[in-house]
Amino acid sequence: MKGKGKAIADKDCPLQFPDLQPVDHIKQSPKYTAILSRSEEDGIGLEELDSVQSDLETLLAAAGKRLKLLENEIQVLVNWQEKKDIKPLETPISGKRGKVAEDKPSKKFKEEKSAGKVSGGTPVGPGRPKSKNTTQFAQVSKVHDYDIVDSPTIDLSKLPKNSAVNRFWVSVEPYCAEISNEDLKLLEDILKSHEDDSDYYKIPPLGQHYAERWAEEDMYEEQKDGAKISDRRRGPNNNNNNNSVLSPAEATTLLRKAEQSNRDESPFGPLTQRLVSALIEENIMTPMDDAMAEITGGKESVEEAPAISPRALAKQLNLGNPSHLEKRIKRELEEQGILDFEDKVEEDPNDEILLELRRKQQDLKAVSQHNISITKRLYKLAKEEMARQEIKKKLQAADAEVMEAYRKIQLAKQKKKTPTKKEREAAQRALREREQIVKALDL
Amino acid sequence: MGRTKLSSGSGGSGSGKSAAGLDTHSPAPTDANTTSSTTAVAEAKIKDLLKELYTLIHQVQDERARGEHNLSNISKTHERMQQEQRITPYYKNKLRGLYNTAMQDAEAEAELLRKALDKITEVKAIRENRRLDSDRPKPIMRRGVLMSMLQQNAVTLPLWVSKPGERPPPLCGAVSADNNYVAKPGDKVAARVQSLDGEENWILAEVVTFNTSTNKYEVDDIDAEEGKERHTLSKRRVVPLPIWKANPETDPEALFSKESLVLALYPQTTCFYRALIHEPPKRPQDDYSVLFEDTSYPSGYSPPLMVAQRYVIMCKEDKKK
Repeated sequence: MKGKGKAIADKDCPLQFPDLQPVDHIKQSPKYTAILSRSEEDGIGLEELDSVQSDLETLLAAAGKRLKLLENEIQVLVNWQEKKDIKPLETPISGKRGKVAEDKPSKKFKEEKSAGKVSGGTPVGPGRPKSKNTTQFAQVSKVHDYDIVDSPTIDLSKLPKNSAVNRFWVSVEPYCAEISNEDLKLLEDILKSHEDDSDYYKIPPLGQHYAERWAEEDMYEEQKDGAKISDRRRGPNNNNNNNSVLSPAEATTLLRKAEQSNRDESPFGPLTQRLVSALIEENIMTPMDDAMAEITGGKESVEEAPAISPRALAKQLNLGNPSHLEKRIKRELEEQGILDFEDKVEEDPNDEILLELRRKQQDLKAVSQHNISITKRLYKLAKEEMARQEIKKKLQAADAEVMEAYRKIQLAKQKKKTPTKKEREAAQRALREREQIVKALDL
Repeated sequence: MGRTKLSSGSGGSGSGKSAAGLDTHSPAPTDANTTSSTTAVAEAKIKDLLKELYTLIHQVQDERARGEHNLSNISKTHERMQQEQRITPYYKNKLRGLYNTAMQDAEAEAELLRKALDKITEVKAIRENRRLDSDRPKPIMRRGVLMSMLQQNAVTLPLWVSKPGERPPPLCGAVSADNNYVAKPGDKVAARVQSLDGEENWILAEVVTFNTSTNKYEVDDIDAEEGKERHTLSKRRVVPLPIWKANPETDPEALFSKESLVLALYPQTTCFYRALIHEPPKRPQDDYSVLFEDTSYPSGYSPPLMVAQRYVIMCKEDKKK
């Protein structure tokens, strides 16, 4: 066993070196000592019993204390040694005697434990130690027993703090706490947050129809795929590649072209058409009656006009987006007073999304209206409550004053003196003040 | 608060614990008069017990003498270890061995001491039984005699010393009894009784019987002077007093801690009042130092007064106020 652990400087020795000296019975237990010196015939008198008991108890208490101290010390020793034994356990090098001796007990823990139990935890357990090895075994088994029985006593000595109560009060606190300015501020913030709700009531303008956008995207996809295939086919001659792959812009123009055939009628909106037709017809009809022949030259141009498609015409006129034109015309007409404002909201009864949006907005409006009214009420109540709190604080102060006066009078009474006039007046005043506050509170 | 039971005169009776503890005020004189055969048997038994006690005490001393060597060995080893500044494994193992031997010695010693104390308890029980069995009415004691008897009772309350790993039993110090515990006839209890003026008081009383069918105790007021009152009380109005003293050195958890609310016997009275623990006992023979609730003091509490472990019990009405 030597050589191991020696190197470690035992600076932080956990041992307490308790004083285990036995009780000096001659001084502390006189009756006991007296009886010891008596002969058997003298014995013990009945009247001595109480003092004998007290002396014996002194001795027993001392023995009990010694047991506790020893138990602790042994525990400390074992813990200390075990800490150091962990290392050799991890890297077992056979050959050193000490290790074998120390490893064994820990391995045989279970057997030892049961063996220790058989001896019944009776204090006089495994007898006096004879060799080192048996000592060790005895110790280990004992220590194990202590481990089991020791924990409850330790638990007992530090009674667990009952935090449940505190937790409960903490959880309840927010509901009973006084209302502060911060709470008011929070309510104000909530009210303010409702002001920028208007975002939710905007109806965004209709965008491009999804069918159109999808068609565009599909087209582009197919273009890409096609390009890949053709790419592979004529891998070597790269120069042709550029021609085969269309850019997205080109794809849209291609689509437009395809569309043109579908709706060749007119890209212009109904309003534009009506306006233009109204203007044109006048031009055509009047000269027709009066001078047909003269205008043959001009007729040609008129005749020619329908030959051009309306789309081409639009392009020629450089009008830009026909839908923009439609809007501009409409606005202009409205401003001129020719068109009424009323049908400004273009509502399509078939637009399900719009209907749904409207309905939801209606709901939202109702809910937020309710919220606002409740918040306002809360705000008002909070203000009132704060005023009451103010009074209540005053009431507390008044209560304290009354108590103070009471105490003074009580003190005077204890000293068998009648309370002085000043004290009585102070008491009266305190009572009156309190009365007023109670009235104000209307409790 | 009216201390209805404050003893009026008899200042000499409260001569303090130590004096009362050593002079015996036991009701021994009455015993001598009885001449029945049972008494003779009891006398013989007591004699035997005293003899056994004598031998046990000698055994204790033998055991102590045997263990003393080892203990001085330990302290010598301690000294040497402390001198050497560091602890070699040799010392550790030596210490372990010494400690274990000392443990065994102490356990053996404690065992013998317990046996000896058991003998004393037995003797006392025999004498107590004789007193109960006798048909004669209990002697009316003068107040002073009564008070010193109560003191004596408290001092000689057996001391509980836990063995390693053992926990204090119910009715040891502050450890209260099980709910279904029934106090035996002759046991001292605190009983909540209503006096003639309607005031409720916890008084010191002695159990006469317990009626299992009604779940009620019959108790006698310990203070016979008050007019021999017998009370019939439901179980919850009766709190058995501890039958063991707790040892502060080994079982501190069985003591009321500082500041805890208790019922304590007001010195020189036979009434229990609400009090706060000011200082728990430090040694086995010590008493609690308590502060009684008393509105006649500005702080609301009396100055610290000493009350024996036996007369301090848990205060039940904790929540009411």
